[in-house]
Amino acid sequence: MRALTAKLKTAGWRQEYVLVMLLVVLIGVAGALDPTFVTARAQLKLSENIWGLAILALPMTMIIITAGIDLSVGSTVALATVTFGLSWHQGVPVWGAALLALGVATAAGALNGFLVSKVKVHPLIVTLATLAAFRGIAEGASKGKPVTPLPDAFTQFGDTFAGIPVAAWVFAVLAIVCALFLGRTPNGRFVYAIGHNERGARFSGIAVDRILFLLYSLSGLLAGVVALLYAARRNTASPEAGMGNELDVITAVVIGGTSIYGGRGNIVGTCLGILLIHETREFVRWYWSSDELNLIVVGSLLVASVLAHRLLRFGKK
Amino acid sequence: MSTLSTVDSPPAGRLRRFADGLLVLARSREYGLLLLIALTVVTVSIKSPDFLDLGNLRDILEQAAPVVVIACGVMLVVLTGEIDISVGSLMGLLAALLALLASADRCAWHPAVAILFVLLAGAAVGACTGLMVTIGRVPSIIVTLGMLTALRGVTILTMGGENIKNFPAMVRFLGTGEVLGLPVDIGVAAAVVILTGFILVLTPLGRRIFALGSNPHASELIGLSERTIKLFVFAYTGFLTGVATLLAVGKLGNVAPSMGKGRELLVVTCVVVGGVSISGGRGKLRGVVLAVLLMVMMRTVLTFMEMGPEATKWERAIQGAFILLAVVVDHLASRHHGSGR
Repeated sequence: MRALTAKLKTAGWRQEYVLVMLLVVLIGVAGALDPTFVTARAQLKLSENIWGLAILALPMTMIIITAGIDLSVGSTVALATVTFGLSWHQGVPVWGAALLALGVATAAGALNGFLVSKVKVHPLIVTLATLAAFRGIAEGASKGKPVTPLPDAFTQFGDTFAGIPVAAWVFAVLAIVCALFLGRTPNGRFVYAIGHNERGARFSGIAVDRILFLLYSLSGLLAGVVALLYAARRNTASPEAGMGNELDVITAVVIGGTSIYGGRGNIVGTCLGILLIHETREFVRWYWSSDELNLIVVGSLLVASVLAHRLLRFGKK
Repeated sequence: MSTLSTVDSPPAGRLRRFADGLLVLARSREYGLLLLIALTVVTVSIKSPDFLDLGNLRDILEQAAPVVVIACGVMLVVLTGEIDISVGSLMGLLAALLALLASADRCAWHPAVAILFVLLAGAAVGACTGLMVTIGRVPSIIVTLGMLTALRGVTILTMGGENIKNFPAMVRFLGTGEVLGLPVDIGVAAAVVILTGFILVLTPLGRRIFALGSNPHASELIGLSERTIKLFVFAYTGFLTGVATLLAVGKLGNVAPSMGKGRELLVVTCVVVGGVSISGGRGKLRGVVLAVLLMVMMRTVLTFMEMGPEATKWERAIQGAFILLAVVVDHLASRHHGSGR
């Protein structure tokens, strides 16, 4: 085992290659079991489900690189959705309601950021609390009932633009911006520094608190964007929106090679991780038509990927 | 000195002293919680005197029983600096197991065997979590987040989406029986609290749990086995989740695939609100017990204040708010007190 890992390392072992290999194997197996799954038409139809998760995974990658975590994204999506639905129902114009939803989502993220950076509470406990609180507020305010239907002017955002879903365009732009930010700007490199050694980063004069605050706020803002995209596509604003999304997103980020201990990871890996999770989930749902099986698969994937990562990279310890 | 300041203290000083008093209350979490419980009881019973009815108080205690049992386990986990958010799903899985084995509609095993099996299964799953945390060195939040999801999937698959009823009398006895006028579930919960208190305060293991949480590096240097201790606390939590499952199923006499959903959050809320430091090493069992009483009472209060059926929808928001309040109060108290404790 150790010899194998050493060989893999010298052969330019990269998490990305493994992910691409896994993806090829998965698609191959899926194609052998059910050829209709790998047709372009089926994939295009199924890809509707990926964009929301993919957008949420971008800020999550950066937060996990700082050795933090944001468990509240799914609940923030619900909070923003309900804000949008209720305010539109109360007679606020659509654009106003959308802005309000984005504002509430950003404020929700900022609350996480404030508690993590200024009050210095562990992000795990902060976002576990807001996971409950935001979902609870969404359920309480909407009395558990979805708002539907939504105006046509809004639901057209759930459609396509130039043949590609609007959500995909949003994701593509955000992914490029995030990748450039992380890889090419000083502040992006500081994100890694915080994850490696927060105290060291602080002593080097990096504005650790400000960066953390902004990252969690960004996570909230993008959760708001995802909320609007979900609502537009499903033509309903439900307090159930985004339920369990945090798990899929964290699993994808971790599978994508971002270290849960911080300091390591990148956007390309996350995109591959999202793709892998997405194809796995959709195939399980397609072939066995079972959502429960998916819970088992994703839960096990999360643990297995960290375990594998641990065994391969830190085999010495 | 003190007499001087009481004689001619300016209003600002008095205010300052009042704030100091509040912070003392916040620091010794148990008094703060007692005060909150007392305030809640007084306010609610003024509005509806039925609240103080003996039957209602017993109801609250019986609702608190399965929660406090699990909270004892999770508290030990948190004291070692780890966390376990899989207890809700584990409860669902164990309930399904109990239902499949003991229910007259299914295997109809002898209830004693089924009960033993459930307790062992709980401890075994807990031990698996512990192994992945200690040997696999995967962070406990990741392991238990994965477990939270995977175990719920297993539960729904094995139960096939139906409820299971018809439990033998022995199982029902655990939830509804009485011995000498004392409800069995309250008795069991009290026994678990006493056992946990005994482990924490009077055994070397208890001291090691505190030592490990407050300074992992130092405890490694003095030769404490991190692995054994963590393995124990996770297995103990799994076992206690089994006990809580028995109490809850005995009470309901019915198992749904969604059993225990959200329980992990309630338990973590109770542990954090009860004053256990989330980074480990600090916390008192009586704080946790009081926090459980407070949180369970909150649920009854929502119904007693006649806020309508929608009021219960706010329950999760209230839980989250309580955790946030607890951590912010902790922060203020420790900052005011200078560095650390």
